[in-house]
Amino acid sequence: MSIEGQSLQEIEIDRISKWFGNNKVLDEVSLSVKKGEALAVIGPSGSGKTTLLRCVNFLEDFQQGTIKVSDEYIGYLQDRDGTGSRQRQPESDIALMRTKVGMVFQSFNLFPHMTVLRNITLAPTRILKQSTQQANETALQLLERVGLKDKADVLPASLSGGQQQRVAVARALAMKPKAMLFDEVTSALDPELVSEVLDVIRELIGEGMTMMIVTHEMSFARAFSDRVVFMADGKMLEIDTPVNIFENPQNPRLVSFLERFRKSYKI
Amino acid sequence: MDLIILSLPLFMKGLHNTLLMSLGATVIATVLGVVFALIQIFGNIFFRALVEIFLYLIRGIPLLVLLFTMYYALLYMGFRIDPLVGGTVVIGIYFAAFMAEVFRGGLLSVARGQWEAGYALGLRTKGVVLNIITYQALKVIGAPYVNTVIMVVKGTSLVAVIGITELTFVGRQIVERTLEPFLIFGVVAGIYVVICYSLSLLARYLERKIGYVN
Repeated sequence: MSIEGQSLQEIEIDRISKWFGNNKVLDEVSLSVKKGEALAVIGPSGSGKTTLLRCVNFLEDFQQGTIKVSDEYIGYLQDRDGTGSRQRQPESDIALMRTKVGMVFQSFNLFPHMTVLRNITLAPTRILKQSTQQANETALQLLERVGLKDKADVLPASLSGGQQQRVAVARALAMKPKAMLFDEVTSALDPELVSEVLDVIRELIGEGMTMMIVTHEMSFARAFSDRVVFMADGKMLEIDTPVNIFENPQNPRLVSFLERFRKSYKI
Repeated sequence: MDLIILSLPLFMKGLHNTLLMSLGATVIATVLGVVFALIQIFGNIFFRALVEIFLYLIRGIPLLVLLFTMYYALLYMGFRIDPLVGGTVVIGIYFAAFMAEVFRGGLLSVARGQWEAGYALGLRTKGVVLNIITYQALKVIGAPYVNTVIMVVKGTSLVAVIGITELTFVGRQIVERTLEPFLIFGVVAGIYVVICYSLSLLARYLERKIGYVN
């Protein structure tokens, strides 16, 4: 805690656990992301890293634990009586909390029936009650930032995957979020389109945006993140600086994960 | 030919009632169908169960039997409602059960990611459904919806048995006077075909209008 009593953490995940039926997919995961920090989350498929990310904006319910974004609970409030029981937020509060967290999906999920511009302005006009003119201006600035200003009036289907994903980033940024969540955002892209999306993320890191990046792009995680988390079997097994994670891994699971990775990629 | 021209006023009256009932029943079926579908997707377990039982019941009863049952039940209870209104309501409720499935299937056919993208931006369920899902669902709903409307139009012919002067009833009246069943019922069938074909054309047109590349 800093002097003003304000937390230095943007995202605080406190002992969350989640089951799909009998399968425990998240096992008492605790994790904080500092303001302005870029945290990369790596791990094998099925490790729970995407599920963890989706819990942060409550697209995924969880059975135990709490999550705070900017010092406010999302999804569940911690009960004050200290019994550890939680209280679920009403839908309106959850929706409000979600506006503070931008999310970019693996499969872009642009709205196919709206122009690129409308994709970006929908939420600002509907939720933040911005005027159309104001929202359009912001959207055009954001499109310029991701290099797609000339595509404002086209439908998403006429864009390449990399372009769609950059629009998706702009759409999330239009809500002026406190933090961004990236869920394997380059996994569905053709290899030659990966870098244009990573470039946008890298710029955001440079601007000091707080973010959690679930990724298979090890070289990107290594070069541009502030810390790296390694997950396997729903557990957080190691968290450290990129250099330590990649040069001096401690956990045997991480060692073998990186070895397997090095066999197929040069990192 | 003279026969048909002479019967024209009667035909027109029948056609009028057929169209009126079709329109009324379609509106009722659409509104109730949307409500049922929304309850099935978003409702709590109690309302969901209630709607589901109701839908299974309705879908399991032939329309003719339902018409008879409701008609005599109402008569027995002493209600004097206009059979035209009563018939329209029964047909509307009956096809609402089918419409519910059309709408439910359409809404759920929209990719999960579209819902999630809406929620992630901070929209609530209502906003997601209205802004993002509905339009995309229309593409899927269009064809089966028109199909159901066509069934509604043809379903109205059954109310002839409770004495409503719609197209089929009128046809029978004219046959009784003229003893030309083939000709007259041929004309009746032709009129139904024209109505239903026009609906299909309208559906095609609308489908093209909301077409976007997915």
